[in-house]
Amino acid sequence: MKTLALFAFFMIVSGSGYADSSEMVEVPAGEFVMGDNDDGYALPKKTVQLEVFSIDRFEVTNEEFARLFPEHTFWKDSQTQPATSMTWHQAKTYCKQIGKRLPTEEEWEKSARGTDARLYPWGNKPLRKKPHPFYSGIIKRRVGLNKKDNSPYGACDMAGSVWEWTVGSENGKKVTRGGLWNHHLDYEYGKTFDRNLIAPSERFIFLGFRCAKSKN
Amino acid sequence: MRKIEKLTRRLFLKGGLWTALLLLWHGFRGPTKSWAQETDPFSGTDFVGKTREGKHHSFYINFWKPMRRINAETWTLKISGLCEIPKTFTLTELRDLPTRSQSSRLKCVECWSARAEWGGFSVRELEQMVRPHASALGVVFHCGDEYKEYLSREALNHDRVLLVHSMNGEPLSDAHGFPLRLIAPTKYGYKNPKAILEMEYVDEQQSGTWSKIGPYSPDSTILPGTDHPLEYGKNPRRIPGGEITDY
Repeated sequence: MKTLALFAFFMIVSGSGYADSSEMVEVPAGEFVMGDNDDGYALPKKTVQLEVFSIDRFEVTNEEFARLFPEHTFWKDSQTQPATSMTWHQAKTYCKQIGKRLPTEEEWEKSARGTDARLYPWGNKPLRKKPHPFYSGIIKRRVGLNKKDNSPYGACDMAGSVWEWTVGSENGKKVTRGGLWNHHLDYEYGKTFDRNLIAPSERFIFLGFRCAKSKN
Repeated sequence: MRKIEKLTRRLFLKGGLWTALLLLWHGFRGPTKSWAQETDPFSGTDFVGKTREGKHHSFYINFWKPMRRINAETWTLKISGLCEIPKTFTLTELRDLPTRSQSSRLKCVECWSARAEWGGFSVRELEQMVRPHASALGVVFHCGDEYKEYLSREALNHDRVLLVHSMNGEPLSDAHGFPLRLIAPTKYGYKNPKAILEMEYVDEQQSGTWSKIGPYSPDSTILPGTDHPLEYGKNPRRIPGGEITDY
């Protein structure tokens, strides 16, 4: 009976009910260190002041995205995995329709990094040297499954899972942030300051989003 | 004892008759997957295979198995499976289709990449003639080196995907997949099959040769990471994922 109860408890904890992108974490107003001077692809290091804002604890899931975009298809049993393969405009529309917005690049980085300029959301050391060595594709998992990939404010999956759209723009492309646990052969992209530039019309299997909201 | 002997003989005769009939029928029908009854698309005993030597140091070559060179005179592209009008096309017919040229980089899953100017036609040109069924989700490519690869029709009809018969203004060489190969710039090289013999329309997603046996994603979209372009001395460069357009 005890075993059964434990099993039931485990199923509830690990079940699909865990992910809820409406759940947000609040990031207090104040300064933080943005960018990195040693990484040529990151923005130069600078101190940035932000107002208080909230950001989704999890990336938007397949199930949630499909409620507003019924044409969004996904594999059976992957309802709670991050939704991907949407354009930047679709991501923006989704956030707007639920009363939120896409985060700015600055908001995204502060949410992942906190105020101590850490390299990863959990600290300064990678969790593993080769997360999924040599696999050439993306392995999606339920959002929030990795309990160690938590930022100082409690936002999940900001170093792993999938890349995320932001409102940031550069040279006609949109800035994406985040990383992949299993990006091919290397780990560089899991850092809090790593950024990508992707055309807003593109859809990729490795690219999703989360929403943010201003306090005022 | 006598009875059993008679029975055995009768059985033997019966069995022999059936075997003879079966062989006769099979002889008429021919082997199911062999070039014996069709035109042999290969020629000679000269093989092409994996190489990074000589002129190929600037654009590596890989094959699943060493392959006899394809004979342009006897090769045809067979379109089969779930389409209204299965057809075969000669190389001349394919070269007469509306051709376009594009510069794109082939990114290998083994890190290297190289850029070329590719000439060919879009899959749409073929689909107008063979008319795939609505149930056809994708195509299995059967290649001269016994390599197989699957691409969805959605991926195949991407604007940047071409069936190519020329490379840098010259007809495709044997090493680069003569007479016809696929170029899908958003996908790793293993999703760009060479020396295509047959395109088979199918109604379910399948894994290609490499995806079946190794850690190769069936989707194979190029992920964000690091590239080592051959023409830039393999010096590492960050790539954002998808087609590499920055260099």
